[in-house]
Amino acid sequence: MNVTTTVVGSYPRPEWFRDYLRKVEGLQKELNVKVDEEIMKKAISEILDEQRRAGIELPTDGQLIWHDFLLTIASRLDGFEMNGLIRYFDNNLYYRIPITRAKIKRSAEILYDLDVAFEIYRDIKAVLSCYTITKLSKNMFYKKYDEFLWDMCRAIREEIKRLESMGVKYIQIDEPSLIYAKRDELGLLEEIFKEITRVKSETILMTYFGSAENIFPEVLDFGFDVIGLDFVEGYEENLNVVREYDIHSINIGIVDGRNTKIEKVNDLKEKFEKIVSSDNFKIVYISPNTGLEFLPRVKAYEKMELLTKLRGVII
Amino acid sequence: MKTTVVGSYPKPKWLLEILNMYGEGKIDKSLMEEAYMDSVKSAVKDHEIAGVDIIWDGEMRREEMVSYFAERIDGFKIYGEVRVWGNAYYPKPSIVSELEYREKLVIDDFLYLKSITDRNIKVPITGAYTIVDWSFNEYYLKREEAIYALAEVLNREFRGLVRVGANYIQLDEPAIPTHPEELEIAKNAVEIMVKGIRAYIGMHICYGDYRAIFPDILDFKVDQIDFEFANRKFEDLKILEDYDYDKDLGFGCIDVHSKTVESVEEVKRAIKMALDIVEPDQLYVDPDCGLKLLPRNIAFEKLRVMVKATNEVKKEFDL
Repeated sequence: MNVTTTVVGSYPRPEWFRDYLRKVEGLQKELNVKVDEEIMKKAISEILDEQRRAGIELPTDGQLIWHDFLLTIASRLDGFEMNGLIRYFDNNLYYRIPITRAKIKRSAEILYDLDVAFEIYRDIKAVLSCYTITKLSKNMFYKKYDEFLWDMCRAIREEIKRLESMGVKYIQIDEPSLIYAKRDELGLLEEIFKEITRVKSETILMTYFGSAENIFPEVLDFGFDVIGLDFVEGYEENLNVVREYDIHSINIGIVDGRNTKIEKVNDLKEKFEKIVSSDNFKIVYISPNTGLEFLPRVKAYEKMELLTKLRGVII
Repeated sequence: MKTTVVGSYPKPKWLLEILNMYGEGKIDKSLMEEAYMDSVKSAVKDHEIAGVDIIWDGEMRREEMVSYFAERIDGFKIYGEVRVWGNAYYPKPSIVSELEYREKLVIDDFLYLKSITDRNIKVPITGAYTIVDWSFNEYYLKREEAIYALAEVLNREFRGLVRVGANYIQLDEPAIPTHPEELEIAKNAVEIMVKGIRAYIGMHICYGDYRAIFPDILDFKVDQIDFEFANRKFEDLKILEDYDYDKDLGFGCIDVHSKTVESVEEVKRAIKMALDIVEPDQLYVDPDCGLKLLPRNIAFEKLRVMVKATNEVKKEFDL
């Protein structure tokens, strides 16, 4: 079995970059402030190095200028207006709630910061989101939710096509809100995600903050090459999922990305073996269960090292 | 009907300069101490001139509300900062061993404040539920064990506070409305914190959906709950009405997120709305939250307007 170490996406900013952002943007980013590209490049390059030094084989750009977590994507689309702060899932983190004021359209690159990272290192994973953006924003424009979701889907699809033509080989779609999806939404979601995953690049669905049992087995038809499950917060339920259904390729979120406690490698190994024992996976990624920016940077680094240690003992 | 504050007040610019110099090792501890004491005096004077009845020291020593206490309690370790929103960060502590009382947390601040003012004093301190919620837990198997252990630590501090003459303690618990499913744990924690404490107990709650914590919050063992109302244009007063609110009310009626100073008239209108819900002697008029993020002159003006409005209402109602 071939196991690859990866991360979910976000990473703590270097301290100097934090200071820089605070200086040019204040405490809250104003939409018209543009980060100096050279400075951004230096920061991304530092984080790419850090991931690779820790043994991460498939890194991300660290989402260093994502001020509103996944909702940053909304801030880069036409039609959204960013509003007052609201809690991001059950974290002590707050994002500006996007409100739809007009038709959602993509008029410029969404992941322009990924382009900077891609120039430095090509085996990198791009991260986008679609359904979760619609769920965590407030719709004041569309009469029907379906229309909102479809416009969102089209915008994301356009960006994915761009990434594909650029040569980005791995595209991850983060959908933590899928955990709360209702069963009667799954038909529409299948159509949406089939559209999104219709690309040559490898597509990875990432779920976290709990188990994804309620979207099985339907999610298997969404067209993703790899399905990512949270085995920290939804361990028991997701374990049942892999036992019951035939998931050909998996991202195992196994290291706790939301607590500074460093797990024992042997405990993780035991867990890993239980997860993979039931299936014959084609592709296996191991990662923290969430982005790492919930942690202080020294701990984020230790968590990646831990993942590499785990990989060392399971092969 | 009394006027009060939630706690923090903008730090004087010179204090920030001195803090920087201290951080760079350019000045020694005794000079820093002197600066802290002088800054408290200046904050207190501002409160006195504005005419606030029940005051605190402006929290000149606190950088923020979790790690300040975590650094002074055994069992916490701080590895670094994490983001809360935008470009705002805080040092998020980790619980790495048994939480135990080590040293005084606010007693010395209280004693110093008492020595420089004749006003009534309230002592605000971040509550056990919020400190644990905003920390990592590496040690306790269950979250509530950590919360209760910390509540015991704070109880010991409160006993010490009362012993030296404090009679009004405020638990700052902004994390409570963010986990309505854990209200029972938060309530138990309050009971542990106030056990045997002969003082007036307030609890400050800001942000979040208040409706989600009603009516259970009314069973908490506190004399007063302090809510922010101005931030949501006083819509939440309806919730109090719906549930026959009967505790004393900390009435946040000054928006701390806006630099626009309220008019006396609009604050008076708000106070009168509150008087439809509680009796005048149950009402504590204050800003929504700490004032520390405002420019100092605006914070001062806001306090002045608040006091003036309260006095005018008192006069109109012959109180």
